[in-house]
Amino acid sequence: MKFRCERDTLFEALSSASRAVSSRSGALAVLSGIKLTLEGDQLTIVGSDLDLTISVSVDVGGDEDGVTVLPSRLLVDIVRALGAGAITLESTDGDMRITAARSEFTVRSYPPDEYPALVEPPTEGISIPASSLTEALRQVVPAASKDDSRPILTGVLLATEGDALRLVATDSYRLSVRDVTESAVLGEDQTVLIPSRALTEVARLLDDEGEVTLGLTERDASFRIGTTTVVTRLIEGEFPNYRGLIPDHHPNRMTVNRLELLDAVRRVRLLAQETTPVRLTMSSDGLDLKAITQDVGEASETIDGIYDGEELTVAFNPEYLIDGTDAASGDEVVLETVDALKPALIRTPEEPGFLYLLMPVRVS
Amino acid sequence: MFLHADLDAFYASVEQRDHPSLRGRPVIVGGGVVLAASYEARDRGVKTAMGSRQARRLCPDAAFVEPRMSAYSAASKAVFEIFADTTPMVEGLSIDEAFLDVSGLARVSGRPDEIAERLRGRVRDEVGLAITVGIARTKFLAKVASAVGKPDGLLVVPLGGEDEFLHPLPVERLWGVGPVTAKKLRNNGIFTVGEIAAIPENALVATLGKASGHHLFALAHNRDPRPIVVGRRRGSIGSQRALGRSDPSLGEIEVMLSGLVDRIGRRLRRANRVGRTVVVRFRYGDFSRATRSHTLTEATADTALILDTTRVLLRASADVIDEKHLTLIGVSVAQLTNADAVQLSLPLGQRNRPSVHETLDEIAEKFPGVNIGRASGLSGSSQMAVPLLPD
Repeated sequence: MKFRCERDTLFEALSSASRAVSSRSGALAVLSGIKLTLEGDQLTIVGSDLDLTISVSVDVGGDEDGVTVLPSRLLVDIVRALGAGAITLESTDGDMRITAARSEFTVRSYPPDEYPALVEPPTEGISIPASSLTEALRQVVPAASKDDSRPILTGVLLATEGDALRLVATDSYRLSVRDVTESAVLGEDQTVLIPSRALTEVARLLDDEGEVTLGLTERDASFRIGTTTVVTRLIEGEFPNYRGLIPDHHPNRMTVNRLELLDAVRRVRLLAQETTPVRLTMSSDGLDLKAITQDVGEASETIDGIYDGEELTVAFNPEYLIDGTDAASGDEVVLETVDALKPALIRTPEEPGFLYLLMPVRVS
Repeated sequence: MFLHADLDAFYASVEQRDHPSLRGRPVIVGGGVVLAASYEARDRGVKTAMGSRQARRLCPDAAFVEPRMSAYSAASKAVFEIFADTTPMVEGLSIDEAFLDVSGLARVSGRPDEIAERLRGRVRDEVGLAITVGIARTKFLAKVASAVGKPDGLLVVPLGGEDEFLHPLPVERLWGVGPVTAKKLRNNGIFTVGEIAAIPENALVATLGKASGHHLFALAHNRDPRPIVVGRRRGSIGSQRALGRSDPSLGEIEVMLSGLVDRIGRRLRRANRVGRTVVVRFRYGDFSRATRSHTLTEATADTALILDTTRVLLRASADVIDEKHLTLIGVSVAQLTNADAVQLSLPLGQRNRPSVHETLDEIAEKFPGVNIGRASGLSGSSQMAVPLLPD
């Protein structure tokens, strides 16, 4: 294999693909490598941990077709360290020579035939405008669980709701739902559970222009964004029935400016240390936030708001409250509550397709 | 001044108290292994944790008694009530020993040795057990004194007489000196605490390593500034189960796990505590041990969540369990905090209803004798509830 390309082009492609390479060296040492395939002027770079595969194609000046697998971390570090300009890669006898300006590296490669065969993404797929998916992923993915001992909750549910594609994620403490209208890419009763880790990568690759093509098979999902493809294994199992969790009636509604709330929680949170919650007292006078950490101190702040309901104090984990307020786009948010122990709801009038359900902290 | 009060051969003494025919005879409490041995049996070389076969060989005329944990719990509770009556500054170490700080009680209760003598008398008269008390200026020394004073004794290390008491003792008396450290010390010609005290600290560190060296140097010079910690909360709550010779399947081990977790969950909720880290301990037939743990996003006392987590940890060790014979399994929940601010969970799945575990807690609370648990736990032998200090 031999080709020439720009350092910036190669670095960007390598960084994307290497994100799927597992940092833990599992049973297959070759998986700590990144696979480069050159056909004509097209270089395809693939990184994978078998659950998640990211492949990126870039145009280069090809000289001699070939396949090689190089240590991912080292290759990324080398290319990052090189200055802007042309880089030449040439394989010789199990080694890869990388030259740029007056620098030269020789890196031992893995035998390419040891690299496992990876799932081919389906050629067919359904396109969604990137802009609508970007926002939905930003709103929903952070609510997924990071705890691997509860695999189902580490996924994001994709389902059809009317003419919309619905995304749902929960870590059992909060639940985020977003409907993307006019994007019902799944069948009426079809649902898929996609690892949130894969969607984090998709969100990273998306920009506001263009579109993303979703392909599905029995076991895998693929997202094609330009010349980059993310293929992920689906999570098997049944997502909890979240519909019954959303109370149909909230007697108390507090409407506040979203950024004011966000800023206030971020300030008051400084005195909500360790596991101390932030207490929100809602009344016709507005919204009062308070945090007390024993032996440290306390903080409080009042913001204006329109309140409809009984005076009520509910305590929340400030991080979860910030996540939900941040996820709601728009100028105003509505915080709907039942009592101090029932799930609260964050919505925004400007985006009816979004809701964030949040369990309070019980204080004694 | 500190008192270290330690009940003598606790389980065995309770048996001798309740069964006059056992008095003056070697008594061994336990099933497969020796849980406790009376002084008569100890004189013949029987030790705690020894296999019962070996114990029988050493002491063929010993009376072997099945443990009666509820009787020990009741006796422990009665003794701790006497401790609490003696001074508010009580730090329980286990069910049969505690530190008591009697400083400042001189006007009210008399000298430390008078207080200790009265305490010993009350335990003998009211509970019917012998208790040894060590008295010294530091907790460490009080504990050494009670060990030296056993059985049924009272030993005072007078102020200023600490070195005189401590230095002639063998190094094994120091807390933290096991067989390995003792051997290292002996190889260097060090047999007594006094000989340790004569060595410069850096030489001791060079021989024993940093932690151990500093630690023993401080102890040999009787430096132990620890105060009594009253009502110190546990950092973890756990429970374990020995499997003996049986070779259970993974499914059967899961049943045992659920029994352990039920118990831990109940203790957590009763003590109003929640924990974030779930730990599973394994011991194998070749005496190797392994510990696997998982830290949750939020602290919990929820039996179902703790059980799910232990199952994941168990399955991750399935290959090793398959290969080696599992002899003991333990579960604990660590990183405990008070449950005064608990992140509630969305009622996902069937956990929508009031928790089964809370109902079980109530039943257990109301009818202490009733054994209520999972049907899956019925086939196995009933689990022995070892008495514990309050959580």
